[in-house]
Amino acid sequence: MGSAGGFLAYMEGIGEFWRGILTFIMENRQRIMEYTLNHFSLVLTVLALSLALWVSVGILISRNDKTANAVMGISNILFCIPSISLFGLFITIPYLGLGRRSAALALLLYAMMPLVRNVYKGIKSVDRYVLESGRGMGMSAAQILFHIQIPLAWPVVFAGIRVTVVLITGIATVATFIGERNLGRLIHHGLTRSNSQMIVAGALLVSLMALLLDFLMGLVEKKITSPGLRE
Amino acid sequence: MIELEGLTKHYPNSKKPAVDDFSLKMAEGETCVFVGPSGCGKTTILRMINRLVEPTSGSIRIDGKDVLSADQDQLRRNMGYVIQQIGLLPHRTVRDNVALVPRLLGWAEERTLKRVQELLGLVGLDPEETGGKYPHQLSGGQMQRVGVARAMAADPPIMLMDEPFGAVDPIVRSRLQDEFLQIQHSFNKTICFVTHDIDEAMKMGDKVAIINEGKLVQHGTPMEVLSQPAGPFVRNLLGEDRGVKLLDLTKCQDLMRRDEGLLQKLQGNPCTIGALQPVKAALEVMLRKDCDTVTVLRGDRAVGALTWQEIKGHIHGLSGEDHEL
Ligand SMILES: Nc1ncnc2c1ncn2[C@@H]1O[C@H](COP(=O)(O)OP(=O)(O)OP(=O)(O)O)[C@@H](O)[C@H]1O
Ligand SMILES: [Mg+2]
Repeated sequence: MGSAGGFLAYMEGIGEFWRGILTFIMENRQRIMEYTLNHFSLVLTVLALSLALWVSVGILISRNDKTANAVMGISNILFCIPSISLFGLFITIPYLGLGRRSAALALLLYAMMPLVRNVYKGIKSVDRYVLESGRGMGMSAAQILFHIQIPLAWPVVFAGIRVTVVLITGIATVATFIGERNLGRLIHHGLTRSNSQMIVAGALLVSLMALLLDFLMGLVEKKITSPGLRE
Repeated sequence: MIELEGLTKHYPNSKKPAVDDFSLKMAEGETCVFVGPSGCGKTTILRMINRLVEPTSGSIRIDGKDVLSADQDQLRRNMGYVIQQIGLLPHRTVRDNVALVPRLLGWAEERTLKRVQELLGLVGLDPEETGGKYPHQLSGGQMQRVGVARAMAADPPIMLMDEPFGAVDPIVRSRLQDEFLQIQHSFNKTICFVTHDIDEAMKMGDKVAIINEGKLVQHGTPMEVLSQPAGPFVRNLLGEDRGVKLLDLTKCQDLMRRDEGLLQKLQGNPCTIGALQPVKAALEVMLRKDCDTVTVLRGDRAVGALTWQEIKGHIHGLSGEDHEL
Protein backbone atom coordinates (compact mmCIF):
# COMPACT_ATOMS: atom_id res chain seq x y z
CA MET A 1 0.00 0.00 0.00
CA GLY A 2 2.74 2.36 1.08
CA SER A 3 4.98 1.55 -1.87
CA ALA A 4 2.09 1.91 -4.33
CA GLY A 5 1.32 5.27 -2.89
CA GLY A 6 4.98 6.22 -3.18
CA PHE A 7 4.97 5.16 -6.82
CA LEU A 8 1.88 7.20 -7.57
CA ALA A 9 3.40 10.22 -5.89
CA TYR A 10 6.57 9.69 -7.91
CA MET A 11 4.64 9.53 -11.18
CA GLU A 12 2.74 12.60 -10.20
CA GLY A 13 6.04 14.32 -9.54
CA ILE A 14 7.24 13.51 -13.02
CA GLY A 15 4.00 14.75 -14.54
CA GLU A 16 4.37 17.90 -12.54
CA PHE A 17 7.93 18.37 -13.77
CA TRP A 18 7.01 18.10 -17.45
CA ARG A 19 3.97 20.29 -17.03
CA GLY A 20 6.34 22.79 -15.50
CA ILE A 21 8.56 22.67 -18.54
CA LEU A 22 5.63 23.19 -20.87
CA THR A 23 4.41 26.10 -18.79
CA PHE A 24 7.92 27.53 -18.81
CA ILE A 25 8.10 27.31 -22.59
CA MET A 26 4.63 28.80 -23.03
CA GLU A 27 5.31 31.67 -20.65
CA ASN A 28 8.63 32.52 -22.30
CA ARG A 29 7.65 31.70 -25.84
CA GLN A 30 8.76 35.04 -27.22
CA ARG A 31 12.24 34.77 -25.82
CA ILE A 32 12.49 31.11 -26.73
CA MET A 33 11.38 31.89 -30.26
CA GLU A 34 14.17 34.43 -30.54
CA TYR A 35 16.72 31.93 -29.20
CA THR A 36 15.49 29.22 -31.55
CA LEU A 37 15.69 31.46 -34.59
CA ASN A 38 19.17 32.65 -33.64
CA HIS A 39 20.28 29.10 -33.08
CA PHE A 40 18.81 27.98 -36.36
CA SER A 41 20.33 30.78 -38.38
CA LEU A 42 23.76 30.17 -36.87
CA VAL A 43 23.55 26.48 -37.72
CA LEU A 44 22.39 27.18 -41.27
CA THR A 45 25.09 29.79 -41.85
CA VAL A 46 27.78 27.45 -40.65
CA LEU A 47 26.33 24.58 -42.64
CA ALA A 48 26.31 26.60 -45.86
CA LEU A 49 29.85 27.86 -45.30
CA SER A 50 31.23 24.50 -44.36
CA LEU A 51 29.61 22.73 -47.29
CA ALA A 52 31.12 25.23 -49.71
CA LEU A 53 34.51 25.10 -48.04
CA TRP A 54 35.01 21.57 -46.79
CA VAL A 55 33.45 19.75 -49.69
CA SER A 56 35.82 21.60 -51.99
CA VAL A 57 38.75 20.83 -49.73
CA GLY A 58 37.72 17.17 -49.60
CA ILE A 59 37.60 17.02 -53.39
CA LEU A 60 40.92 18.80 -53.78
CA ILE A 61 42.81 16.58 -51.37
CA SER A 62 41.44 13.45 -53.04
CA ARG A 63 43.89 14.22 -55.85
CA ASN A 64 46.96 13.97 -53.67
CA ASP A 65 47.39 11.48 -50.84
CA LYS A 66 50.18 13.34 -49.06
CA THR A 67 48.19 16.56 -48.80
CA ALA A 68 45.18 14.51 -47.80
CA ASN A 69 46.95 12.99 -44.81
CA ALA A 70 48.24 16.38 -43.69
CA VAL A 71 44.86 18.08 -44.01
CA MET A 72 43.01 15.31 -42.22
CA GLY A 73 45.61 15.33 -39.47
CA ILE A 74 44.92 19.02 -38.93
CA SER A 75 41.17 18.48 -38.92
CA ASN A 76 41.54 15.78 -36.28
CA ILE A 77 43.56 18.07 -34.04
CA LEU A 78 41.07 20.91 -34.42
CA PHE A 79 38.26 18.53 -33.60
CA CYS A 80 39.94 17.62 -30.33
CA ILE A 81 40.16 21.19 -28.98
CA PRO A 82 37.45 21.68 -26.35
CA SER A 83 34.83 23.99 -27.80
CA ILE A 84 34.78 26.39 -24.88
CA SER A 85 38.48 27.13 -25.25
CA LEU A 86 38.21 27.60 -29.00
CA PHE A 87 35.41 30.11 -28.54
CA GLY A 88 37.40 31.79 -25.81
CA LEU A 89 40.44 32.01 -28.05
CA PHE A 90 38.60 33.59 -30.94
CA ILE A 91 37.02 36.42 -28.95
CA THR A 92 40.50 37.70 -28.17
CA ILE A 93 41.19 38.15 -31.89
CA PRO A 94 40.30 41.72 -32.87
CA TYR A 95 38.15 41.29 -35.99
CA LEU A 96 36.28 38.30 -34.54
CA GLY A 97 35.47 39.42 -31.02
CA LEU A 98 32.36 38.50 -29.07
CA GLY A 99 29.45 37.16 -31.05
CA ARG A 100 28.56 35.57 -34.31
CA ARG A 101 31.86 35.76 -36.19
CA SER A 102 33.78 33.89 -33.53
CA ALA A 103 30.98 31.43 -33.07
CA ALA A 104 30.64 30.72 -36.78
CA LEU A 105 34.38 30.32 -37.27
CA ALA A 106 34.71 27.89 -34.40
CA LEU A 107 31.80 25.80 -35.60
CA LEU A 108 33.21 25.87 -39.11
CA LEU A 109 36.39 24.32 -37.79
CA TYR A 110 34.47 21.59 -35.98
CA ALA A 111 32.62 20.77 -39.19
CA MET A 112 35.91 20.22 -40.97
CA MET A 113 36.66 16.78 -39.60
CA PRO A 114 33.42 14.95 -40.45
CA LEU A 115 32.96 16.71 -43.79
CA VAL A 116 36.46 16.61 -45.23
CA ARG A 117 36.96 13.05 -44.09
CA ASN A 118 33.72 11.79 -45.58
CA VAL A 119 34.11 13.61 -48.88
CA TYR A 120 37.63 12.24 -49.20
CA LYS A 121 36.58 8.74 -48.20
CA GLY A 122 33.58 8.83 -50.51
CA ILE A 123 35.59 9.86 -53.52
CA LYS A 124 38.35 7.40 -52.76
CA SER A 125 35.89 4.54 -52.41
CA VAL A 126 34.70 4.81 -56.01
CA ASP A 127 35.50 1.55 -57.78
CA ARG A 128 38.66 1.98 -59.83
CA TYR A 129 37.27 0.01 -62.74
CA VAL A 130 34.29 2.34 -62.98
CA LEU A 131 36.77 5.20 -63.15
CA GLU A 132 38.81 3.37 -65.73
CA SER A 133 35.82 2.74 -67.94
CA GLY A 134 34.93 6.43 -67.70
CA ARG A 135 38.45 7.40 -68.71
CA GLY A 136 38.50 4.75 -71.41
CA MET A 137 35.39 6.22 -72.96
CA GLY A 138 36.97 9.62 -73.17
CA MET A 139 35.47 11.48 -70.21
CA SER A 140 37.59 14.44 -69.16
CA ALA A 141 38.86 14.73 -65.59
CA ALA A 142 36.10 17.24 -64.78
CA GLN A 143 33.43 15.02 -66.29
CA ILE A 144 34.68 12.09 -64.27
CA LEU A 145 34.57 14.21 -61.12
CA PHE A 146 31.06 15.55 -61.63
CA HIS A 147 29.44 12.60 -63.34
CA ILE A 148 31.11 9.68 -61.63
CA GLN A 149 33.07 10.50 -58.49
CA ILE A 150 30.72 12.94 -56.81
CA PRO A 151 27.48 11.08 -57.52
CA LEU A 152 29.02 7.82 -56.34
CA ALA A 153 30.46 9.49 -53.25
CA TRP A 154 27.08 11.02 -52.32
CA PRO A 155 25.95 8.43 -49.78
CA VAL A 156 29.19 8.71 -47.83
CA VAL A 157 29.30 12.49 -48.18
CA PHE A 158 25.74 12.72 -46.96
CA ALA A 159 26.47 10.62 -43.92
CA GLY A 160 29.14 13.22 -43.13
CA ILE A 161 26.75 16.11 -43.68
CA ARG A 162 24.18 14.61 -41.33
CA VAL A 163 26.74 14.05 -38.61
CA THR A 164 27.94 17.63 -39.11
CA VAL A 165 24.45 19.10 -38.77
CA VAL A 166 23.77 17.29 -35.53
CA LEU A 167 27.23 18.17 -34.27
CA ILE A 168 27.07 21.90 -34.89
CA THR A 169 23.52 22.16 -33.60
CA GLY A 170 24.83 20.73 -30.34
CA ILE A 171 28.08 22.67 -30.07
CA ALA A 172 26.33 25.91 -31.02
CA THR A 173 24.81 25.93 -27.50
CA VAL A 174 28.25 26.69 -26.08
CA ALA A 175 28.38 29.90 -28.17
CA THR A 176 26.02 31.41 -25.63
CA PHE A 177 29.08 32.09 -23.49
CA ILE A 178 30.46 34.42 -26.14
CA GLY A 179 27.31 36.38 -26.64
CA GLU A 180 25.11 34.33 -28.95
CA ARG A 181 21.51 34.58 -27.75
CA ASN A 182 20.50 31.01 -28.63
CA LEU A 183 19.04 27.92 -27.00
CA GLY A 184 22.31 27.40 -25.16
CA ARG A 185 21.29 30.38 -23.07
CA LEU A 186 18.42 28.41 -21.54
CA ILE A 187 20.83 25.72 -20.46
CA HIS A 188 23.40 28.24 -19.29
CA HIS A 189 20.91 30.23 -17.22
CA GLY A 190 19.25 27.09 -15.98
CA LEU A 191 22.61 25.98 -14.67
CA THR A 192 23.44 29.23 -12.89
CA ARG A 193 19.98 29.39 -11.35
CA SER A 194 19.74 25.67 -10.61
CA ASN A 195 16.54 25.62 -12.62
CA SER A 196 16.33 22.09 -13.95
CA GLN A 197 13.18 22.74 -15.94
CA MET A 198 14.93 25.45 -17.83
CA ILE A 199 17.91 23.18 -18.56
CA VAL A 200 15.70 20.40 -19.80
CA ALA A 201 13.63 22.80 -21.91
CA GLY A 202 16.80 24.03 -23.61
CA ALA A 203 18.22 20.56 -24.16
CA LEU A 204 14.89 19.35 -25.46
CA LEU A 205 14.59 22.12 -28.03
CA VAL A 206 18.17 21.65 -29.20
CA SER A 207 17.64 17.93 -29.69
CA LEU A 208 14.39 18.55 -31.52
CA MET A 209 16.15 20.95 -33.86
CA ALA A 210 18.95 18.45 -34.51
CA LEU A 211 16.46 15.67 -35.16
CA LEU A 212 14.44 17.84 -37.48
CA LEU A 213 17.48 18.92 -39.48
CA ASP A 214 18.70 15.35 -39.69
CA PHE A 215 15.28 14.25 -40.89
CA LEU A 216 15.18 16.95 -43.56
CA MET A 217 18.67 16.00 -44.68
CA GLY A 218 17.52 12.42 -44.95
CA LEU A 219 14.76 13.51 -47.32
CA VAL A 220 17.20 15.47 -49.45
CA GLU A 221 19.58 12.53 -49.50
CA LYS A 222 16.87 10.19 -50.70
CA LYS A 223 15.97 12.63 -53.42
CA ILE A 224 19.54 13.13 -54.64
CA THR A 225 21.01 9.64 -54.38
CA SER A 226 20.59 7.53 -57.53
CA PRO A 227 18.26 4.55 -57.14
CA GLY A 228 21.12 2.53 -58.62
CA LEU A 229 23.03 3.00 -55.36
CA ARG A 230 20.19 1.77 -53.14
CA GLU A 231 20.34 -1.97 -53.09
CA MET B 1 45.05 0.04 -89.86
CA ILE B 2 46.70 -0.18 -86.46
CA GLU B 3 50.47 -0.51 -86.31
CA LEU B 4 52.29 -1.29 -83.10
CA GLU B 5 56.02 -0.97 -83.34
CA GLY B 6 58.57 -1.94 -80.73
CA LEU B 7 55.95 -1.30 -78.06
CA THR B 8 57.40 -1.70 -74.57
CA LYS B 9 55.94 -1.02 -71.14
CA HIS B 10 58.02 -1.18 -68.04
CA TYR B 11 55.89 -0.50 -64.96
CA PRO B 12 57.76 1.22 -62.15
CA ASN B 13 59.06 -1.16 -59.48
CA SER B 14 58.83 -4.28 -61.59
CA LYS B 15 61.81 -6.29 -62.73
CA LYS B 16 60.60 -7.41 -66.12
CA PRO B 17 58.72 -5.35 -68.70
CA ALA B 18 55.00 -6.16 -68.89
CA VAL B 19 55.12 -5.70 -72.66
CA ASP B 20 58.42 -6.25 -74.40
CA ASP B 21 59.29 -4.95 -77.88
CA PHE B 22 55.90 -5.83 -79.30
CA SER B 23 55.28 -5.22 -83.02
CA LEU B 24 52.10 -6.04 -84.88
CA LYS B 25 49.94 -4.77 -87.72
CA MET B 26 46.17 -5.05 -87.75
CA ALA B 27 44.36 -4.49 -91.03
CA GLU B 28 41.16 -2.49 -91.23
CA GLY B 29 38.06 -4.55 -90.54
CA GLU B 30 40.10 -7.33 -89.03
CA THR B 31 39.52 -8.97 -85.68
CA CYS B 32 42.83 -9.65 -84.02
CA VAL B 33 42.68 -11.76 -80.89
CA PHE B 34 45.41 -11.37 -78.27
CA VAL B 35 45.72 -14.59 -76.39
CA GLY B 36 48.10 -15.76 -73.72
CA PRO B 37 48.31 -16.75 -70.06
CA SER B 38 47.24 -14.45 -67.24
CA GLY B 39 49.69 -11.63 -66.66
CA CYS B 40 51.31 -11.86 -70.09
CA GLY B 41 50.50 -8.22 -70.85
CA LYS B 42 47.29 -8.37 -72.92
CA THR B 43 45.43 -5.71 -70.98
CA THR B 44 48.50 -3.51 -70.92
CA ILE B 45 48.69 -3.59 -74.73
CA LEU B 46 45.05 -2.57 -75.09
CA ARG B 47 45.45 0.19 -72.53
CA MET B 48 48.42 1.54 -74.44
CA ILE B 49 46.40 1.67 -77.64
CA ASN B 50 43.85 4.00 -76.03
CA ARG B 51 46.51 5.65 -73.92
CA LEU B 52 45.28 4.69 -70.50
CA VAL B 53 48.88 3.55 -70.11
CA GLU B 54 51.79 5.44 -71.60
CA PRO B 55 54.32 3.17 -73.33
CA THR B 56 57.89 3.27 -72.08
CA SER B 57 59.03 3.15 -75.67
CA GLY B 58 57.80 2.25 -79.13
CA SER B 59 55.07 3.70 -81.27
CA ILE B 60 51.39 3.22 -82.07
CA ARG B 61 49.97 4.44 -85.37
CA ILE B 62 46.38 4.37 -86.49
CA ASP B 63 45.92 4.96 -90.21
CA GLY B 64 49.46 6.31 -90.23
CA LYS B 65 48.84 8.88 -87.48
CA ASP B 66 50.79 8.71 -84.26
CA VAL B 67 48.41 7.97 -81.39
CA LEU B 68 50.81 9.28 -78.79
CA SER B 69 50.47 12.83 -80.05
CA ALA B 70 46.67 12.75 -80.46
CA ASP B 71 44.21 14.31 -78.01
CA GLN B 72 43.51 11.59 -75.44
CA ASP B 73 39.83 12.17 -74.82
CA GLN B 74 39.08 12.57 -78.51
CA LEU B 75 41.00 9.43 -79.30
CA ARG B 76 39.11 7.40 -76.70
CA ARG B 77 35.70 8.61 -77.83
CA ASN B 78 36.45 7.17 -81.23
CA MET B 79 37.52 3.83 -79.84
CA GLY B 80 35.07 1.49 -78.18
CA TYR B 81 36.48 0.03 -74.99
CA VAL B 82 35.05 -2.96 -73.18
CA ILE B 83 36.99 -3.32 -69.95
CA GLN B 84 37.70 -6.66 -68.37
CA GLN B 85 35.78 -5.79 -65.20
CA ILE B 86 32.82 -4.37 -67.20
CA GLY B 87 32.79 -1.15 -65.14
CA LEU B 88 29.22 0.00 -65.76
CA LEU B 89 28.34 3.20 -63.94
CA PRO B 90 26.25 1.90 -61.02
CA HIS B 91 24.31 5.13 -60.57
CA ARG B 92 23.13 5.28 -64.17
CA THR B 93 20.46 3.24 -65.86
CA VAL B 94 21.36 0.84 -68.62
CA ARG B 95 20.06 3.36 -71.12
CA ASP B 96 22.25 6.16 -69.72
CA ASN B 97 25.27 3.88 -69.59
CA VAL B 98 24.93 3.09 -73.27
CA ALA B 99 24.22 6.74 -74.09
CA LEU B 100 27.42 7.89 -72.43
CA VAL B 101 29.75 8.34 -75.39
CA PRO B 102 27.12 9.74 -77.79
CA ARG B 103 26.36 12.37 -75.16
CA LEU B 104 30.05 13.12 -74.71
CA LEU B 105 30.20 13.62 -78.45
CA GLY B 106 27.29 16.01 -78.24
CA TRP B 107 24.76 14.03 -80.25
CA ALA B 108 21.19 15.31 -80.26
CA GLU B 109 19.22 13.57 -77.52
CA GLU B 110 16.72 12.10 -79.96
CA ARG B 111 19.45 10.51 -82.04
CA THR B 112 21.16 9.20 -78.91
CA LEU B 113 18.02 7.54 -77.59
CA LYS B 114 17.25 5.99 -80.93
CA ARG B 115 20.76 4.61 -81.08
CA VAL B 116 20.51 3.21 -77.55
CA GLN B 117 17.26 1.49 -78.44
CA GLU B 118 18.82 -0.03 -81.52
CA LEU B 119 21.97 -1.19 -79.72
CA LEU B 120 20.17 -2.83 -76.83
CA GLY B 121 18.21 -4.80 -79.39
CA LEU B 122 21.40 -5.66 -81.23
CA VAL B 123 23.04 -7.18 -78.17
CA GLY B 124 19.91 -9.12 -77.36
CA LEU B 125 18.40 -7.06 -74.58
CA ASP B 126 14.82 -5.87 -74.51
CA PRO B 127 15.15 -2.05 -74.62
CA GLU B 128 11.85 -1.48 -72.85
CA GLU B 129 12.46 -3.95 -70.07
CA THR B 130 16.18 -3.50 -69.51
CA GLY B 131 16.74 0.12 -70.51
CA GLY B 132 15.47 1.56 -67.24
CA LYS B 133 17.22 -0.91 -64.97
CA TYR B 134 20.31 -0.18 -62.93
CA PRO B 135 23.46 -2.32 -63.28
CA HIS B 136 22.96 -4.05 -59.93
CA GLN B 137 19.65 -5.41 -61.20
CA LEU B 138 21.29 -7.26 -64.11
CA SER B 139 22.80 -10.72 -64.40
CA GLY B 140 26.48 -11.10 -65.30
CA GLY B 141 25.66 -11.93 -68.90
CA GLN B 142 23.34 -8.95 -69.23
CA MET B 143 26.01 -6.64 -67.82
CA GLN B 144 28.51 -7.87 -70.39
CA ARG B 145 25.99 -7.23 -73.15
CA VAL B 146 25.50 -3.70 -71.86
CA GLY B 147 29.27 -3.26 -71.72
CA VAL B 148 29.55 -4.28 -75.37
CA ALA B 149 26.61 -2.08 -76.38
CA ARG B 150 28.14 0.87 -74.56
CA ALA B 151 31.44 0.43 -76.38
CA MET B 152 29.68 0.28 -79.74
CA ALA B 153 27.37 3.20 -79.05
CA ALA B 154 29.00 5.90 -81.14
CA ASP B 155 29.81 3.41 -83.87
CA PRO B 156 33.60 3.69 -83.42
CA PRO B 157 35.73 2.26 -86.22
CA ILE B 158 37.96 0.56 -83.67
CA MET B 159 36.92 -1.59 -80.72
CA LEU B 160 39.13 -2.70 -77.87
CA MET B 161 37.54 -5.63 -76.09
CA ASP B 162 39.22 -6.98 -72.96
CA GLU B 163 37.77 -10.40 -72.20
CA PRO B 164 34.31 -9.13 -73.07
CA PHE B 165 32.69 -12.49 -72.35
CA GLY B 166 34.85 -13.48 -69.41
CA ALA B 167 32.31 -13.26 -66.60
CA VAL B 168 29.73 -15.76 -67.83
CA ASP B 169 29.31 -19.52 -67.96
CA PRO B 170 30.44 -21.44 -71.09
CA ILE B 171 26.95 -21.77 -72.57
CA VAL B 172 26.13 -18.08 -72.35
CA ARG B 173 29.65 -17.26 -73.53
CA SER B 174 29.25 -19.38 -76.60
CA ARG B 175 25.95 -17.65 -77.39
CA LEU B 176 27.47 -14.19 -76.90
CA GLN B 177 30.34 -15.17 -79.19
CA ASP B 178 27.97 -16.31 -81.92
CA GLU B 179 25.91 -13.16 -81.64
CA PHE B 180 28.97 -10.99 -81.71
CA LEU B 181 30.35 -12.74 -84.79
CA GLN B 182 27.06 -12.02 -86.47
CA ILE B 183 27.22 -8.36 -85.46
CA GLN B 184 30.82 -8.13 -86.63
CA HIS B 185 29.90 -9.55 -90.04
CA SER B 186 27.57 -6.66 -90.66
CA PHE B 187 29.71 -3.85 -89.20
CA ASN B 188 33.24 -4.67 -90.18
CA LYS B 189 35.08 -2.92 -87.41
CA THR B 190 38.74 -3.27 -86.55
CA ILE B 191 38.69 -5.17 -83.29
CA CYS B 192 41.38 -5.94 -80.76
CA PHE B 193 39.96 -8.77 -78.74
CA VAL B 194 41.65 -10.09 -75.62
CA THR B 195 41.09 -13.51 -74.17
CA HIS B 196 43.00 -16.21 -72.36
CA ASP B 197 40.71 -18.88 -73.79
CA ILE B 198 42.40 -20.40 -76.86
CA ASP B 199 39.13 -21.78 -78.21
CA GLU B 200 37.57 -18.34 -78.07
CA ALA B 201 40.62 -16.96 -79.87
CA MET B 202 40.29 -19.48 -82.68
CA LYS B 203 36.59 -18.82 -82.99
CA MET B 204 36.62 -15.04 -82.92
CA GLY B 205 39.86 -14.14 -84.65
CA ASP B 206 40.67 -13.40 -88.26
CA LYS B 207 44.16 -13.23 -86.85
CA VAL B 208 45.52 -14.52 -83.59
CA ALA B 209 48.43 -12.98 -81.71
CA ILE B 210 49.90 -15.33 -79.16
CA ILE B 211 51.69 -13.59 -76.33
CA ASN B 212 53.96 -14.88 -73.62
CA GLU B 213 55.65 -12.75 -70.96
CA GLY B 214 55.00 -9.58 -72.92
CA LYS B 215 56.46 -10.88 -76.16
CA LEU B 216 54.69 -11.75 -79.39
CA VAL B 217 55.27 -15.44 -79.93
CA GLN B 218 53.22 -16.02 -83.05
CA HIS B 219 50.90 -14.00 -85.27
CA GLY B 220 48.76 -15.51 -87.99
CA THR B 221 45.36 -16.84 -88.96
CA PRO B 222 43.92 -19.50 -86.66
CA MET B 223 44.59 -22.00 -89.39
CA GLU B 224 48.24 -21.01 -89.68
CA VAL B 225 48.73 -21.11 -85.95
CA LEU B 226 47.11 -24.51 -85.63
CA SER B 227 48.93 -26.05 -88.54
CA GLN B 228 52.35 -24.52 -87.88
CA PRO B 229 52.62 -23.71 -84.20
CA ALA B 230 55.80 -21.73 -83.52
CA GLY B 231 57.44 -23.79 -80.87
CA PRO B 232 56.50 -25.64 -77.70
CA PHE B 233 54.78 -22.70 -75.97
CA VAL B 234 52.20 -22.34 -78.72
CA ARG B 235 51.78 -26.10 -79.05
CA ASN B 236 51.16 -26.30 -75.34
CA LEU B 237 48.67 -23.45 -75.42
CA LEU B 238 46.79 -25.06 -78.28
CA GLY B 239 46.46 -28.25 -76.29
CA GLU B 240 46.43 -31.93 -77.18
CA ASP B 241 43.48 -31.60 -79.53
CA ARG B 242 45.06 -29.42 -82.21
CA GLY B 243 43.91 -31.78 -84.93
CA VAL B 244 40.29 -31.63 -83.81
CA LYS B 245 40.52 -27.83 -83.55
CA LEU B 246 41.80 -27.76 -87.12
CA LEU B 247 38.85 -29.78 -88.27
CA ASP B 248 36.61 -27.38 -86.42
CA LEU B 249 37.98 -24.51 -88.53
CA THR B 250 37.79 -26.29 -91.88
CA LYS B 251 34.49 -26.26 -93.71
CA CYS B 252 33.34 -29.46 -95.39
CA GLN B 253 33.08 -27.73 -98.75
CA ASP B 254 36.77 -26.83 -98.61
CA LEU B 255 37.91 -30.40 -98.09
CA MET B 256 35.32 -32.46 -99.98
CA ARG B 257 36.02 -34.34 -103.22
CA ARG B 258 33.84 -33.39 -106.21
CA ASP B 259 33.78 -36.74 -107.88
CA GLU B 260 30.66 -37.50 -109.92
CA GLY B 261 31.43 -41.19 -110.05
CA LEU B 262 31.78 -41.41 -106.29
CA LEU B 263 28.61 -39.40 -105.76
CA GLN B 264 26.77 -41.79 -108.06
CA LYS B 265 27.93 -44.69 -105.93
CA LEU B 266 26.91 -42.91 -102.75
CA GLN B 267 23.26 -42.40 -103.73
CA GLY B 268 21.08 -43.07 -100.72
CA ASN B 269 24.01 -42.72 -98.30
CA PRO B 270 22.44 -42.11 -94.86
CA CYS B 271 25.52 -40.15 -93.75
CA THR B 272 25.15 -36.54 -94.88
CA ILE B 273 26.41 -33.13 -93.79
CA GLY B 274 25.88 -29.50 -94.83
CA ALA B 275 28.59 -27.97 -96.98
CA LEU B 276 29.18 -25.07 -94.56
CA GLN B 277 29.47 -27.32 -91.50
CA PRO B 278 32.94 -27.84 -90.00
CA VAL B 279 34.70 -31.05 -90.88
CA LYS B 280 34.57 -31.91 -87.19
CA ALA B 281 30.82 -32.29 -87.56
CA ALA B 282 31.33 -34.68 -90.47
CA LEU B 283 33.64 -36.71 -88.26
CA GLU B 284 30.94 -36.83 -85.64
CA VAL B 285 28.47 -38.15 -88.25
CA MET B 286 30.97 -40.85 -89.27
CA LEU B 287 31.45 -41.98 -85.70
CA ARG B 288 27.78 -41.95 -84.85
CA LYS B 289 26.52 -43.67 -87.99
CA ASP B 290 29.58 -45.90 -88.39
CA CYS B 291 30.47 -45.03 -91.97
CA ASP B 292 33.67 -44.03 -93.78
CA THR B 293 32.20 -41.65 -96.34
CA VAL B 294 29.92 -38.67 -95.83
CA THR B 295 27.90 -37.04 -98.58
CA VAL B 296 28.18 -33.25 -98.53
CA LEU B 297 24.95 -31.46 -99.28
CA ARG B 298 24.17 -27.96 -100.36
CA GLY B 299 20.48 -27.69 -99.73
CA ASP B 300 19.15 -31.05 -100.97
CA ARG B 301 21.79 -31.50 -103.64
CA ALA B 302 24.83 -33.70 -103.13
CA VAL B 303 27.85 -31.63 -104.11
CA GLY B 304 30.74 -33.73 -102.88
CA ALA B 305 32.02 -36.40 -100.56
CA LEU B 306 34.35 -36.60 -97.59
CA THR B 307 36.17 -39.78 -96.73
CA TRP B 308 37.88 -40.82 -93.52
CA GLN B 309 41.15 -41.22 -95.39
CA GLU B 310 40.96 -37.65 -96.66
CA ILE B 311 40.32 -36.22 -93.25
CA LYS B 312 43.27 -38.13 -91.83
CA GLY B 313 45.45 -37.03 -94.71
CA HIS B 314 44.37 -33.42 -94.19
CA ILE B 315 45.48 -33.36 -90.58
CA HIS B 316 48.77 -35.01 -91.37
CA GLY B 317 49.37 -32.77 -94.35
CA LEU B 318 48.80 -29.61 -92.37
CA SER B 319 50.68 -30.61 -89.30
CA GLY B 320 53.75 -31.76 -91.15
CA GLU B 321 56.00 -34.23 -89.37
CA ASP B 322 54.15 -33.79 -86.08
CA HIS B 323 52.74 -37.31 -86.19
CA GLU B 324 51.83 -37.79 -82.57
CA LEU B 325 48.78 -35.50 -82.96
N1 LIG C 1 49.29 -0.59 -63.05
C1 LIG C 1 50.24 -1.54 -62.94
N2 LIG C 1 51.34 -1.29 -62.18
C2 LIG C 1 52.30 -2.24 -62.08
N3 LIG C 1 52.28 -3.43 -62.69
C3 LIG C 1 51.21 -3.72 -63.45
C4 LIG C 1 50.14 -2.79 -63.62
N4 LIG C 1 49.22 -3.34 -64.43
C5 LIG C 1 49.70 -4.55 -64.75
N5 LIG C 1 50.89 -4.79 -64.18
C6 LIG C 1 51.72 -6.01 -64.34
O1 LIG C 1 51.98 -6.17 -65.70
C7 LIG C 1 51.85 -7.52 -66.09
C8 LIG C 1 50.86 -7.66 -67.23
O2 LIG C 1 49.57 -7.32 -66.75
P1 LIG C 1 48.29 -7.32 -67.66
O3 LIG C 1 47.16 -6.81 -66.84
O4 LIG C 1 48.57 -6.60 -68.91
O5 LIG C 1 48.10 -8.87 -67.95
P2 LIG C 1 46.94 -9.65 -68.69
O6 LIG C 1 47.57 -10.42 -69.78
O7 LIG C 1 45.84 -8.73 -69.06
O8 LIG C 1 46.44 -10.66 -67.57
P3 LIG C 1 44.97 -11.23 -67.27
O9 LIG C 1 44.69 -12.29 -68.29
O10 LIG C 1 45.11 -11.81 -65.91
O11 LIG C 1 44.02 -10.09 -67.33
C9 LIG C 1 51.48 -8.29 -64.86
O12 LIG C 1 52.66 -8.88 -64.34
C10 LIG C 1 50.96 -7.23 -63.91
O13 LIG C 1 51.27 -7.58 -62.59
MG1 LIG D 1 43.86 -8.50 -68.44
